[in-house]
Amino acid sequence: MTRYAVPCGIIAFCLLTYWLSTQFDRVPPILLRGMQPADFPQMVLILIVTLAVLVMLFDRPIVRDPVPSAVWISLGLFGLFALAAQVDLFLGLGVFAGALAFMWGERRIWAIGLVALISPALVFLLFDQVFSIRFPRGLLTNLWYG
Amino acid sequence: MEPLIAGLMALMDPGLLVLLFAATLGGVIIGALPGLNATTGAALLLPFTITMDPIPAIAILTTIYCAATFAGAITAILINTPGTSASATTCLDGYPLAQRGEAGRALGMATISSTIGGIISVICLMLAAPLMARMAYNFAPPEYFALTVFGISMLATIGDGTPLRNIIAGAFGVLLATVGKDLLTTVERFTFGFNELSEGIGFVPVMIGIFGISELLVQAERLSVKRRQVHMKAIKLPSRADYQKVWRTILRSSGIGTFIGILPAEGATVASMIGYNEARRWSKTPKEFGKGSIEGIAGSEAANNSAAGGAMVPTLALGIPGSPTAAVILAGLMVHGLQPGPTMFTEQAEFAYAIFWAMLLVNVMFIFVGLFGAKIFARVTFVPVQILWPIVFTFSIVGGYALDQSMLDVYIALGAGVIGYFMRRFGYSVVPLAIGLILGGMLEKRLGQSLIMLDDQWWLMFTRPLTLLFFALTVLALFGPFLWRLFKQRDPMVSTGE
Repeated sequence: MTRYAVPCGIIAFCLLTYWLSTQFDRVPPILLRGMQPADFPQMVLILIVTLAVLVMLFDRPIVRDPVPSAVWISLGLFGLFALAAQVDLFLGLGVFAGALAFMWGERRIWAIGLVALISPALVFLLFDQVFSIRFPRGLLTNLWYG
Repeated sequence: MEPLIAGLMALMDPGLLVLLFAATLGGVIIGALPGLNATTGAALLLPFTITMDPIPAIAILTTIYCAATFAGAITAILINTPGTSASATTCLDGYPLAQRGEAGRALGMATISSTIGGIISVICLMLAAPLMARMAYNFAPPEYFALTVFGISMLATIGDGTPLRNIIAGAFGVLLATVGKDLLTTVERFTFGFNELSEGIGFVPVMIGIFGISELLVQAERLSVKRRQVHMKAIKLPSRADYQKVWRTILRSSGIGTFIGILPAEGATVASMIGYNEARRWSKTPKEFGKGSIEGIAGSEAANNSAAGGAMVPTLALGIPGSPTAAVILAGLMVHGLQPGPTMFTEQAEFAYAIFWAMLLVNVMFIFVGLFGAKIFARVTFVPVQILWPIVFTFSIVGGYALDQSMLDVYIALGAGVIGYFMRRFGYSVVPLAIGLILGGMLEKRLGQSLIMLDDQWWLMFTRPLTLLFFALTVLALFGPFLWRLFKQRDPMVSTGE
């Protein structure tokens, strides 16, 4: 199925992107030097579509086992991180890291604490103190920034 | 001569030397950790270098590159798992030697071969890069455009995908590079109302996503893999008999590795395979290969380490990455506002030579790190993935945020990670995407400049000898493997199996 599904997905993406590229502003011909802004992306998109058709015709499909449940769980945790990061970036990181370690089979409390609490805290301090990086304000970072 | 000395003096700061030694240790640890390699390591550490001056920043990245490439051999020999793909051929003879109780001899040979290969390639880099830059100094936009097209065409043969899929991945990278303001007309493209995207998609979050976060998902597939270390007493240097047996192999593989490294986009993995095969072809005892041949280790390790130096030649002289890790280093150069290319050797010569000296230095440091620390670094491999990867994720996300301090970059890194994982799953290597993203902007800019220069008569590009040469090389790079296969099928000697 992937023999056709992936190239068809690529072609659909390219068609959508091509349509988006037709919405770009155009430079009046009198002022134009070189190419219109849409020309180059459109050339690349046409190349990708052509290659995707060739993949369908000539490339052997890759037979692989289904995506393991651990990958789906990790992807779900990415979603959890994205949500938690809305409240606080480091809260999201801590929740994600602890949950990932647990879902991947880690049961030692100290190890989960290390990845969920200590490592994000140390990374925060390193970037804040050494590299002077200002993180977005949130539930936890407000405690530090005041 | 003056920039050569100035470059050396720039490195002679005790603080910087300590930093480079720490980067060497860090690179070796990264190379030994499961799932991490030189490219991922450089991408993850790139945000740490943002606030540094260009010389220490890029010196650290190149040190990581060299050290992680070398460290792949440690795990290849001791646990039959190449720390990096470039060390896959080292497993073939390193692990059988280790099983025979000669792990120390194998690691000693890997260290010495890597050091010699690395030093030879850096010397070649010091000589070749300025020459190449001088040659390219007179290139006009059409020549640069054709050269960039050639660089992109070389993506066909890299990574683990088929040529067609690699070019699709590379073209997708080029497409990503079109996001943001068009350089010639300043019209915004694919920005969807996000002001942060006006300057384009950042290299760093994409690199972190496709190399770091996608690897986390790949590791999720391998949670049940168990690793077992072969017992090792101590590392001993190769004997005089070993040296007599391998010196030609080391020199040959160093030459091969440097040459392969210089080719755009080809890297240490291809170099180590060719180096290993040539070592077997020229060996007096080819039957020993695969069963614990010391020549096999030397052939593979000298080639993969020398490719690192070779890969920096087109990276610095032409702005075309010589390998995936060189692509990350190129991104680092751009982040620091440096313009790789011919002008680097005229306007920033001290910087370029400081990088060369740093690479030379790290190759000398290997001897100490490799011979005295391998036993400890091998243990790093046993860090549980359940602890390692959540920490890597934390670094990836914070690193993705740090450069522009934008949450959008965090989501770009996350998205690039997911896309990267599924690309890898469906046989599309992520390396061409990274290189396409870096070269895409350059490609469009030079095409636009060429059209302006040639008064929109694009066909005039084919009347310029150098442009024509690069286009011919492009055709060769794209269709050469097919033509070669066709030629071999028609050869009666091959088709009858003689």
